[in-house]
Order: sequence, then C-alpha cells, then structure tokens
Amino acid sequence: MLVLTRRANQSIMIGNDVVVTVLDVKGDQVRIGIRAPRSVAVHREEVFAELARENQAAASPPGEALSRLRGMVPPRPT
Amino acid sequence: MTDLPELEFADGLVGFPEARRFVLVQWGDQDSPFSLLRCVELEGLEFLVVPPQVFFPDYHPELDDAAADDLAVTSADDALVLVIVTVGEPLEESTANLLGPLVVNLHTRKGIQAVLAPDRYRTRERLFGTAAVRG
Repeated sequence: MLVLTRRANQSIMIGNDVVVTVLDVKGDQVRIGIRAPRSVAVHREEVFAELARENQAAASPPGEALSRLRGMVPPRPT
Repeated sequence: MTDLPELEFADGLVGFPEARRFVLVQWGDQDSPFSLLRCVELEGLEFLVVPPQVFFPDYHPELDDAAADDLAVTSADDALVLVIVTVGEPLEESTANLLGPLVVNLHTRKGIQAVLAPDRYRTRERLFGTAAVRG
C-alpha cells in the first residue's frame, strides 16, 4: 500500500481525473473530499463490503427453500 | 438458452463484477410477484428478486444524479426497480436488500445495483414482519 502524508487542504490524485482532498482533521476523524468523474462510483468501503456479503448470501437460493417460500407469498395488492 | 430479453449490468452486481448479463424469469405461480434474475454468463448464478412495493409499499428509493445519468432514467416510469431476496432459514426470516436495489432502464434494458444511503436503508429487511434481522 502506498502511504502518503497530507495536511488539511492538500490533495492526492489517482489517475488523471480523481482528486482526493483532506478537508479537515479532528481527533481520529478525517473529512475527505473526492472529485471524480461520474462514471467512477465512490462508496464507503464498509457499505460496499456489506452489499457484497449480502449478494453472496442471496446468490442461488436452494430450490427446496424456494418451493417452500411459494406458500408464503402475500396476495398481490390490487 | 432462452429467448427472454437480456438485461445488461455493465458493472455487474456488487461483489459479482463479472456477472453482467441476466435474464428475468418468472418464478412461482402465475400471480407470484417473484422472479429469478439468472446470470447468462455464470452458470448456476441466480437471485430471487421482487418488486419492493409488494412488501414495502413505503419504499421509494431515490437514485443519485450520477446513477440516474448513467442509466439515462429521467422518470420513475422508465425504471424497473427490484430488490434481491435473501431466503432465510426459517423462511419467515427471509429478507430483502433495500440498501442495494436493482434499477433497470426499461427502454435500454441496462441496469445497475444502486447503493443508497446506509443511514436510511438496510441490507436485511424482513419480508414477513417489520423487524430487521441482525446480519
């Protein structure tokens, strides 16, 4: 992992078009600004990891459980 | 393998970046709200999905501008929203992922898994009850 030391209001660039700026440091919290093209998705890592875990848990449910779920489907609202 | 129209998730699903092309297969009885989102590329990979309003009538996720631009969705009528179901054991504990809904542009058939605000939505919202299940 590349480690850089930055102060408030200093930035790093990732590639040609992603700029990460340290806005503010208070105790153990750091506020970070990210300027990136819209095509680059920016997420908190733990949120991304949680979604990946949940997708993994949901993937390819066993057919036996699916068929039991059939009886529990609520009526479609009209 | 099927002549159903394909849906294209250019970025894959979260944690499944290589799963990009899917077909949506009706699951269950004729009036079942559920479908299986079946990956065309990765054999055996499928997800049980449901329109969220069936179980969560108050759920109205808003896409951020970048995601809406990406999909070229300008109004809710252009979009099909589905949530992924995690089938629980027991089944009463089955949950839906409201944090990462699937949004498909009905005209282009391009889709994304959106990432909503984690302070408002959870990955495990129970289908059959109001309490969330601890992950």
